[in-house]
Amino acid sequence: MSSVPGNDKKTKLLVYTIEECPACGQKTKRAFTVGDYVTKDGAKCTKCSNPTRISLVYAENSKPSR
Amino acid sequence: MFLLPNGVLQVPGFDTTSLISLFWIGFILITFFYQTRLQSYLALNDISRGLNKLTAMKDKARKEAIDYLVNVGKAPADPTQRVDQFLDYVTIMPVDIDPAGLVGKIDHIVTTNNDRVRAEIGALLNQSNPVTVSISENLLEVATSLNMIHKIVRHFYLLGKKTNSYFTLIQLQMLMPMIIQEADALLNAVDSFKMGQPVGDGIGPVVVSRYMAGVEKRVIAKDTVMAITEYKGRKLYVLKADGPMAYVGQPGVAIKKVIEEMGVKPSAIVMIDAALKLEGEKTGEIAEGVGAAIGGIGVEKFQIEEAATKAKVPLYAILVKQSILEAITVMRKEIAEAADKVSQVLNRVIEEKTKEGDEVLVAGIGNTLGVAQ
Repeated sequence: MSSVPGNDKKTKLLVYTIEECPACGQKTKRAFTVGDYVTKDGAKCTKCSNPTRISLVYAENSKPSR
Repeated sequence: MFLLPNGVLQVPGFDTTSLISLFWIGFILITFFYQTRLQSYLALNDISRGLNKLTAMKDKARKEAIDYLVNVGKAPADPTQRVDQFLDYVTIMPVDIDPAGLVGKIDHIVTTNNDRVRAEIGALLNQSNPVTVSISENLLEVATSLNMIHKIVRHFYLLGKKTNSYFTLIQLQMLMPMIIQEADALLNAVDSFKMGQPVGDGIGPVVVSRYMAGVEKRVIAKDTVMAITEYKGRKLYVLKADGPMAYVGQPGVAIKKVIEEMGVKPSAIVMIDAALKLEGEKTGEIAEGVGAAIGGIGVEKFQIEEAATKAKVPLYAILVKQSILEAITVMRKEIAEAADKVSQVLNRVIEEKTKEGDEVLVAGIGNTLGVAQ
């Protein structure tokens, strides 16, 4: 998984990709992989099997490392 | 030698109180005459430590750019020499003693520079993948910026040292934490650029990409695309830089073209952009306002303001607050999650400020790396 230093340098940021189903609105969160971009086609929806699209790519803090 | 009743050891001719007084007088005299020299010495040490950090940062950025050109860009020959030349390229701004027509001159020089950079990077790489070329451009820009920051700080450090200028050194020492913070943000941006991840500045493009999904897009200006869609009876002209490349596009040229060449008469122009937050403000906070929401050197802002003023179109701005570090590194969750709220604000602004049958221009401003349409 891609990770970058956080604001305070004590935390690491983990980068996630959010895939959203345009039909049922189901959102799936997975680790970012190189080549992901917003609006790219994603995997099939786990709920209704329709093709999903990447709606967001963002980073959030992991737990502080000791 | 004898003992006083209170037990203090006394040596004849050696008075402790006098010794302490002498020490204080000496201390006061030294600080009176050498205070600035002492502080200059401390400032020099402080700046020197910062300068070492900056040296390490600019070397790392340069190395990362070269590695990217070799490993991802598959540069056929060793690009080190060309990269080093590139880092020292200068853009000479036009003379401003006669300010009439200055923006056009700046635009011409900046465009020439951008074209030259892209052409040179294209020649360096063994491929024409636009995403790789745009990322290479951004990586070299980061390396160039860090190189320039290092050179300027080193210049004032050496100048202060040479001339023993107390005020030069103290000013530089006071600015160092901010300079290091900015340099650190630039260096952190390298990781996000290399991976092709959307950056905080890309929140505008993220929002407008939702309005462009499934609609035909066309190139409206260099690196800029536009789609025509509809929202509650209004015709929307939505534009952003062409993603998922690391482009910022030419929204000024695009807006001018839509109004002046295509003859569109928008009832409102709504611009969505990232804005630098003040300390204490929360990341991802949304602010609304009026005016052209766009940063940069000022050329695009001028073009948008001019086109809007000529056509008497009100300019509305929706801003998402973030720090400089958050703006140029991978998009934080708080910023990404603001996208839904920005869409709601945008819809409300369109509904409140225009009526059915109107035309509205919506522009998502910012670096569109990792955000297609």
